Amino acid sequence: MKMSMQKISVLLAVTALWAGSAVAEDKPIVLGFPLGLSGANSITAPAVVQAMELAVSEINDAGGVLSRKLVIELADSASSAAGAQKAYDSLVYQKEVDAIISSEPSAARNAGLPIITRGKIPYIYTSFYEGRSCNKYQHIDGWVPQQVVSLMVDYFMKDQGAKTFFLVGNDYAFGRGLLGDTNKYVTEKGGTILGEEYNPIDASDWTAIVSKIRQANPDVIITSTAAGAPNVTFTKQLRAAGLTAKYGSYALDEGTAKTLGPDAEGIYLGGSYYTSINSEKNAGFLKALNDKFGTETKTPNELSVPQYDAIHLYALAAAKAGTTDTDAVVKALSEVTFDGPRGLVQMSKQRHAPLTMYLAQVNAQGDTTIIKSHPNVDPGEQCPNL
Amino acid sequence: MVPVLLDLITTAAILYIVSSGLLLVFGVMKLINFAHGGLMTLGGYAAVMATAMGLSPWIGIPLAAIFGGIVGLSMERVVVRSLYNRPLDAILATWGLSIIIGQIITLVFDRGVHFAEPPIRGVISILGEPYSTYRLILIAFALLLGVGLTLALRGTSLGLSTRAVIMNEDLARGLGINSGLVRSVTFTLGSGLAAVAGALITPLSSVDPNMGIAWLISAFMLVLVSGSSLYSLAVASIVLGGAQVVVSNYFGSVLGGMTIAALAAVILRIRPQGFSYE
Repeated sequence: MKMSMQKISVLLAVTALWAGSAVAEDKPIVLGFPLGLSGANSITAPAVVQAMELAVSEINDAGGVLSRKLVIELADSASSAAGAQKAYDSLVYQKEVDAIISSEPSAARNAGLPIITRGKIPYIYTSFYEGRSCNKYQHIDGWVPQQVVSLMVDYFMKDQGAKTFFLVGNDYAFGRGLLGDTNKYVTEKGGTILGEEYNPIDASDWTAIVSKIRQANPDVIITSTAAGAPNVTFTKQLRAAGLTAKYGSYALDEGTAKTLGPDAEGIYLGGSYYTSINSEKNAGFLKALNDKFGTETKTPNELSVPQYDAIHLYALAAAKAGTTDTDAVVKALSEVTFDGPRGLVQMSKQRHAPLTMYLAQVNAQGDTTIIKSHPNVDPGEQCPNL
Repeated sequence: MVPVLLDLITTAAILYIVSSGLLLVFGVMKLINFAHGGLMTLGGYAAVMATAMGLSPWIGIPLAAIFGGIVGLSMERVVVRSLYNRPLDAILATWGLSIIIGQIITLVFDRGVHFAEPPIRGVISILGEPYSTYRLILIAFALLLGVGLTLALRGTSLGLSTRAVIMNEDLARGLGINSGLVRSVTFTLGSGLAAVAGALITPLSSVDPNMGIAWLISAFMLVLVSGSSLYSLAVASIVLGGAQVVVSNYFGSVLGGMTIAALAAVILRIRPQGFSYE
């Protein structure tokens, strides 16, 4: 084999470049992800993991941030306060991450926030939640009740002429907060609340509540049950009882709706992301997800897409700040805008994001059709003192 | 009134179905099988598999019995057998086995919720009140289970040996009864019943790797107050299940959710043998 002088010199040059860049390249930016890999959130966690792997690989393929690569540091927070304390502690103090981005139940977030405050690192919370969580280091790109309650209730009252409502939730901050706001809004608009019932979050028996709904015979049932199993058990037991009232859910995700089969047909969903959003960005996102994970792809949902957005928002903020220094990144996080599958997202309103909100309905095939969309819905007064 | 009464009876029936396998094992082996929840989950996935293969949903029930029986028999042979004289270790070991079952299911099916076609949908009218047909069918299942198990215990020679082992194992062994075989058969049967219960509750429950755990606590409480008698279990299911329905109806489901555990504790404080009449 004969190699020309030219080829050898090219090879040498490439080698030198590679070696040079390897030296010049800084240590990676480590992003910590406490996630409910076990417990209630474990049902939606696989989709969240895929979305964040996609975001990180997109950013790294495009050259990283500040010419540093992003690295994922995952920790199981067990969907609980106790699990979150351990997960945040290890991410902040042992792994020394540059930022934490997490999609978790409110109890886990509340347990993690004091650790964020002590560790002084940028934090993005990416789950929809009951609102008014404020911390100097925190930004939130999921929806709050102000953004979804009016959308859902107005549709039932104005478009469907409904007058009586029955509210069902799990007994925790998100369930009670969201239904409390719904109760207030329905009453303000002249509707009647026939009942507001809660079941413990780990309960699987809805017998008594289904009985009460049957007796009350409302026009509409609105639920704020915990993601995953409680959504499923309630819906199955409701349908088994043959109740046909209109059913709106704040918490059911598309993937879980599919596993409910015919029981999910007709359920109205309210949120900021559905796979049927008709936009170029969403089509691109779905294709990228499918290219990366093939048949293993999990249906992206209301938890996974905000997680995807948040990673891109962090990358933009660090780039804008020109550093991973906490104060500069936190400041930039309020300013940067990411055009993602949900549309434009900017966490500019008291650390929260105005979002395009959708009302959707599950059809007979288990797919979700969008009925209505409201662009740029304001999150309202969340953290006026920040 | 009629719906509450029906809720009460069907809740008792569901509790009886869920607990009978656990009671059988406890009665014979004086061992709480904490793998009961995992075995229920396994049964739920048998129903999922029946649906996935396009079989009638009813096939899921015998399929669950076979899965549960095989897994139960292997667990007894490999692990539980050597722990008969160490009941506390056996609790720990069965709990561990339950975790292993859950993790294997997670590996095969992932963590998500799965879909199992219910054997029957819709409602029928009882005294003018529409009520879930499937819940009513569960009453029949519970009765069938109670009668079937009683007949098996009273009418067969293995049943006779089993009762002898329940009463006094040392004496039974002295009389030439193969108590090892009785234990093996009981554990297999109890595991099969757990899986059948799992398949039977799929129309009311979410099928995910943790589905059995929520039911294990109630079943455990019921067995504690029932001792080793199938009759006491029926009484306990009606009393505790009924109390749960009544409390949930009049004082809210949050209190209803703790009724069974709280009431079981009170009953055991007042009457240590619970509902058992011996």
